[in-house]
Amino acid sequence: MKRTSNDFIVGLAVILTAVAIVAATLWVQQADLGQRRSRHEARFRDVGNAQVGSAVVIRGVQSGRIESIELAEGGWVHMRLRLDEATDLPRDPVVLLSSASLMGEWQATVTTREALPRNPDVHRQIAEAEGEPGILPGASVPDIAQLTAVAGGIAGDMASLAERFRIVFDSAAAIELRGSIANVAQLSAELERTIRRQSRNLDTISRDVSGGMDELRSAAEAFRRVASRVDSSTAAGEIAAISQNLTRSAAQLEVTSARVQELATRMHTTQANLDRLLARSDSVMGKVNTGSGSLGLLLNDPSLYRRTDSLMLALQHLVADVRANPRKYVNLRIF
Amino acid sequence: MFESVGSVSRFAAYSARGLTDVRTWLPAVTTQARLLGVDSLPIGAFIALFTGIVLALLASYTFKDVAVPLYLVGTLVEKTITMELAAVLTGLALAGRVGASIAAELGTMRVTEQIDALETLAYDPYAYLVVPRVIAGVIMFPVVVAAAMLVGVTAGWMASIFLLDLSSAQFVKGLRIFFDPFDVRYGIVKSASFGLAVTLLGCRSGMRTSGGAQGVGRAATEAVVQGAVMILVLDAFWAVIWLLGREK
Repeated sequence: MKRTSNDFIVGLAVILTAVAIVAATLWVQQADLGQRRSRHEARFRDVGNAQVGSAVVIRGVQSGRIESIELAEGGWVHMRLRLDEATDLPRDPVVLLSSASLMGEWQATVTTREALPRNPDVHRQIAEAEGEPGILPGASVPDIAQLTAVAGGIAGDMASLAERFRIVFDSAAAIELRGSIANVAQLSAELERTIRRQSRNLDTISRDVSGGMDELRSAAEAFRRVASRVDSSTAAGEIAAISQNLTRSAAQLEVTSARVQELATRMHTTQANLDRLLARSDSVMGKVNTGSGSLGLLLNDPSLYRRTDSLMLALQHLVADVRANPRKYVNLRIF
Repeated sequence: MFESVGSVSRFAAYSARGLTDVRTWLPAVTTQARLLGVDSLPIGAFIALFTGIVLALLASYTFKDVAVPLYLVGTLVEKTITMELAAVLTGLALAGRVGASIAAELGTMRVTEQIDALETLAYDPYAYLVVPRVIAGVIMFPVVVAAAMLVGVTAGWMASIFLLDLSSAQFVKGLRIFFDPFDVRYGIVKSASFGLAVTLLGCRSGMRTSGGAQGVGRAATEAVVQGAVMILVLDAFWAVIWLLGREK
C-alpha cells in the first residue's frame, strides 16, 4: 500500500513537472502546435545576423518566424518565412532584414516597395534580388554595430581634424582670421549696397520694360485697327484710289526733290562764299591778335588803349565845357 | 587523489553491475524517488522563489545605471535560472539534504552490520541499496530542478511586476527574445549529472563507513562536501563541453 502510494506520488510529480516544463518551454518559444501556416521564400545576398526563429514582422506586428536559411546557387541566400495563415502579404512585397533592437537580434520585415528606406544600397539589393518567380526580393540594412563602427571612424577623423586645427590655429592665425572676418563684413556691406543699387536699376528696367510692353500692346492694337481698316478698304475697292494718290504724291515729291537739289547747289555756293569770308576774317583776326595794324595795336597795346580812353575823357570834358560856356570858344561879334 | 578516483571508479563499477539485478532494485526506486525527490520539492521551490526575486531586483538595479532596456530583466532571469542557478543551487541544497541522508542511512547500516547481513543472505548490497538511490537521484534531481526553474522564473516575473517598474508584457518580451529550448535542456541534463554524483558519492561514503556513530557523522559530512564539490566541478565541465562547443 505504501509502495503504491509512493509510486503514485512520484509518478504524479514527475508527470506534472514534465508537462509543466514542456508547456512553459513551448509557450515561451511561441511554438505553434497544429496551427496552419503559410510559407514564403525570399532571397538575399547577405542575411546579416538574422537566424532561424527570428521574428517576421508585417506593419509592425509579429506575424511569423524565419523557418530556414540556406545558401543557394549564384551567391544567393534563400530564406523561408513561416507566416500565420490568416496573414496577407502587402502589395508588391519585399523583405527587409534589420536589427530589431540595440541588443543584436534581427527581424525580417515584409513591407511594400514604396515603404523601403531611402537607402540606395537597399534599393540596389532589392533590384538585384528581383526576377525570380515566386521568391520575394530581399535586402539587409547595416547592423547597428556596423553603423557605430562607421560613426566611430568618423569620430576618430573628427578628432584628428580637431587636433590639426588646434595646432594650426595659433594666436597669429586668430588675428588674421579676425581681419579676414572684418574684410568679409566690409565686403558683404559693399555687396549689399551694390545689390540694392542693382535692385533699383532692375526696378527701373522693369518699369521701362513694362512701359515698352504697354507701348507694344498699344502698337499692336493700332496695327490691328489698321489691319482691320485695310481689310475693310480692300473690301470696298479703295486701294486703287490710294495707289493713284500715292503715284501723284510721288511725282510731286520728285519735283520737290529737284527744287531741294537746286537749293542745295545754291547752298553750296553760299557756303563757298562764306568759307572765303571766314578765311579773310580769320586773316584779319590773326593780324589783330598779333598786334599788327591799328586795330591790333588798339587791342593789344594797353598804353594806347589808356591814351585813347583819356583822350575820350578829355573830349567829353571839352564837349561839356563847350555846352556850358559856348562864348568861351565862340566869340561872335557883329560889330 | 588517485586512490580516491580509483575507489570511486570501483564503486561505480559495482553499482553498474548491480543494475543487472533489476528485480532487486526496481521495487525500491519509487520509495527512494519520493524520499529524495518529491520530499525535496519544497526546498527546491523555496530556494528558487527567493533566487528569482533577488535576480529580478539585481538585474533592475544593474540595468538602471547603464543604457540597457529594462525588459532584459526577463532575459537575465530566464537565462540565469534555467541554465545555472536552478540546477546548481538546488543541487547544492540536495547535496546537503540527500547526500547526508544517504550517507547517514547507509553508514548506520554499515556500522550496525546490516549490510554484512545482506551480503550473508546473498543480497547484492549495491543492487539493493545503491542502485535504487542512484536511479532515483538521476530521475528526481531533474524533476526538482525543473520545478525550481518554473518557480524561479515565475517569482522573477511577479517581482518585476509588483516590485519594479516593469509590465508583464515587457518581462515576457525579455523572456522570449533570447529564449532557446537548449537553455532548459542544458539545465535538466546538468541536474541529472548532479543527481548521479550526489547519490553515488553519498552511497559510497555510507558504504565505507567505519567507527560507529562518529564514523557515520564523518560519512555524512564527507558526502555533503564531496557532493557539493562535484556539483561545481560538473557545472564547469558541462559549461566547457557543451557551451563552448555549441554553434549557434
